[in-house]
Amino acid sequence: MKVFRLVSMLALILAVGVATTSCKKVKDADVQAAAQMALVANPDLADVSVAVLDQVATLSGTVKDDASKAYAETTVAAVENVKSVVNNIEVVPPAPDFTAIDAALNSGLADALKDHATVKAEVKDGVVTLTGEIRKRDLQKLMEKVNALNPQQVVNNITVK
Amino acid sequence: MALQEKYKELVDLARQYGATVSDEGNVLRVRGEVPSGALKDKMWEIYDRIDPNFKNNDLILDVNVKATEGGKVKVVTRESNLNIRKGPGTDQPIVGKAAHGDVITLISKANNQWWLVRDNDGEEGYCYSQYLEPVQ
Repeated sequence: MKVFRLVSMLALILAVGVATTSCKKVKDADVQAAAQMALVANPDLADVSVAVLDQVATLSGTVKDDASKAYAETTVAAVENVKSVVNNIEVVPPAPDFTAIDAALNSGLADALKDHATVKAEVKDGVVTLTGEIRKRDLQKLMEKVNALNPQQVVNNITVK
Repeated sequence: MALQEKYKELVDLARQYGATVSDEGNVLRVRGEVPSGALKDKMWEIYDRIDPNFKNNDLILDVNVKATEGGKVKVVTRESNLNIRKGPGTDQPIVGKAAHGDVITLISKANNQWWLVRDNDGEEGYCYSQYLEPVQ
């Protein structure tokens, strides 16, 4: 009987021990929430998501540069109970701002097209699209003028007569 | 690389005269100053032969004849007179005209598009540079 009691005691202690441990067990959801909170604090990481499984944080989403990608990893690695970080963030450089370039092109085109009343031009993101019609003999001069404005590309949809 | 192959004849000629050739993937950019109007025309002729009427939208050809300030430039309009304006822009008032074929003096380049010139009557003003060709 004594032996049996001892065994039961041991079992009980073990059971309590296990129960205590499981209470203390880290909840992935909590870690995930904390990690996401840490990311949200930085506007550069607004498009980064984190998923935590068995205390391993996996990062996904996009950032504008490599520095932000590394920073996201450091940020999440520093969150309590994160054992390791898998960094699947994609670096997508932002589209350049063409506002000033387009304005300069439009202003240059006003002069360039002055002698070519039958040709129209549209500018978007540094690309000049030409439409309308022109005589073959005037085409080269027009193209010289437009190419000299330093556009990203010239799209020539002009009908050559 | 594909575009440099396509326009090889032009690229070779451009490099020979020190123009820069940059391949931007979907657009090949050829820029620089060449010694003569004949050479510039030759480059445009090659361009037009490889890509008739410049329809492929894959080349920016921006070559100019080397112009020296204080040097002479010829008016290369198709046939009309060239407006000389008070300032650099077609919105500026016309202060004089240079006849087609006239050789006038380049005073300075305000920018790539507009050059300050002096015509043979001593009138000074700005002309659109694409209608001026430096002469030696």
